[in-house]
Amino acid sequence: MKAAPLLSIDNLTGGYGEIVIVTDLSLALSQGQALCVTGRNGVGKSTLARLVTGSLMPASGQVVFLGEDLTFAPAHGRARQGMGYAPQEGVVFDTLSVAENLTLHHRDRSLERYKELFAMFPRLPDRLGQRAGTLSGGEKKILSFCRALAEDTKLVILDEPTEGVQPENIALMAEAINRAKDAGRGFLIIEQNLSLVEAVADQAALMDHGECIYTHSGTINLRAELAERLKI
Amino acid sequence: MDLVVTYGLNFAYSTATLGLIVLGLAVVFGLLGVMNMAHGEFVMLGAYSALMVQQAGLPFVLAIPLAVIVCGALGWLMEWSVIRHLYRRPFDTFLATWGIAILMRKGVEVSFGREYQSVDQSLPGTVSLMGIDYPAYRLVLMAVIVTMFALLFVWYQRSNTGARIKAMVQNPDLAAAVGINTARLSRATFVTGVAIAGLAGVLLAPLVRVEPYMGLDYLLSSFFILVVGGLGTLEGLIIGSSIIGGADVVISAIFDKTAGYLGVLAISILFLWLRPDGIFSRR
Repeated sequence: MKAAPLLSIDNLTGGYGEIVIVTDLSLALSQGQALCVTGRNGVGKSTLARLVTGSLMPASGQVVFLGEDLTFAPAHGRARQGMGYAPQEGVVFDTLSVAENLTLHHRDRSLERYKELFAMFPRLPDRLGQRAGTLSGGEKKILSFCRALAEDTKLVILDEPTEGVQPENIALMAEAINRAKDAGRGFLIIEQNLSLVEAVADQAALMDHGECIYTHSGTINLRAELAERLKI
Repeated sequence: MDLVVTYGLNFAYSTATLGLIVLGLAVVFGLLGVMNMAHGEFVMLGAYSALMVQQAGLPFVLAIPLAVIVCGALGWLMEWSVIRHLYRRPFDTFLATWGIAILMRKGVEVSFGREYQSVDQSLPGTVSLMGIDYPAYRLVLMAVIVTMFALLFVWYQRSNTGARIKAMVQNPDLAAAVGINTARLSRATFVTGVAIAGLAGVLLAPLVRVEPYMGLDYLLSSFFILVVGGLGTLEGLIIGSSIIGGADVVISAIFDKTAGYLGVLAISILFLWLRPDGIFSRR
């Protein structure tokens, strides 16, 4: 018997008020897998992430997570149900310190849960007392990535995690994602960097004009197929 | 020398009490962006709490929990029924809270009458300080206000809840995405702000005339201070209180009370014209 998907997006339509960005989009993701959604700028990838995480409410369709319909659940409720999110923009709380960014949503201020990630990204623990707003764009992305990954969540949604990040750190991000996948966590990754997509994706979806125009399962020919279609 | 000490203490007293009055509005307007036109009415309710406690023959100190509970409960109801639907809609909030302020004033007028009433000094007498006799209650009040500000500052800077409020103010979407219940936190922040206003009313009640329209003056002073000091920082609040309070004390001493009001108004207009974000501003 096939296991129920970790995340199921069914005929999702939504956007900003009257303006519809994502149209009738359906995708599914299993535990321990990464689904990468790619496409050109402005096709609705980030809007999709916002609809799934509850930053935006859909006009129609369904978002089912761990068998529960969360279509109209508030964003904080989804986070507490086990849906982690690192957005594309406004990724950190600029006026708070790096340490506060990592701990403010926890009862304790322990950084123990970040131990493994700190070993991978050693610049981060060096800057714990620094205001997050003073970090470079790439460092902010790494901070946001670490915060989302260190949570005890079943699903992690990453929106353009590699934007402004140095190639060696992108490789480390891929390594961290693959380790988390091995532990059974699922990933919905919005990404244009095909190196990361190729390194972590179990499935990929290509979006255009708010619709899913192509899906690819497995890693064989993944990069070539996506690259070919992205040229269109 | 005595005159300098007297003016110095009056300046400190004026700054401290103005800081206390504006603190609640600074929390609600500075952090949540809610232009609460009913702020002065919560100060007024605090003062009436002190009056009720006095009329019941109970110790003055009991007015503090009474005011905090009354203002907190009313603030909770106000946020739940009206404000939460109007976040990020400043003009609508302005109108709605103005309407609520009128209701509160009229409600108190119907219940207690329109005439001026007074609350007895719970700490009468004077204390000799640097060669002058100064009212004991004023000195205690200044100490209480300074302690309150210090505790609030440390709590806001060091506590996890303080960090969550800052996070919510700066980036509400991200705050919700990391699991912070921003709706509940906004409500708690609003309730805290109006409860502080109520507390200010209790503490000031023995020094002022208690009447249903007393909140209007406090509302104006509070906005003047926020215009001068800027929104969202404690430094701005203290500097704003010092400038407005200082100007009022000095101009009133040289000329009269009306000139003091005019001076404060002129300073506020100048700031709105030349430095609309105030001296300190988070924005």
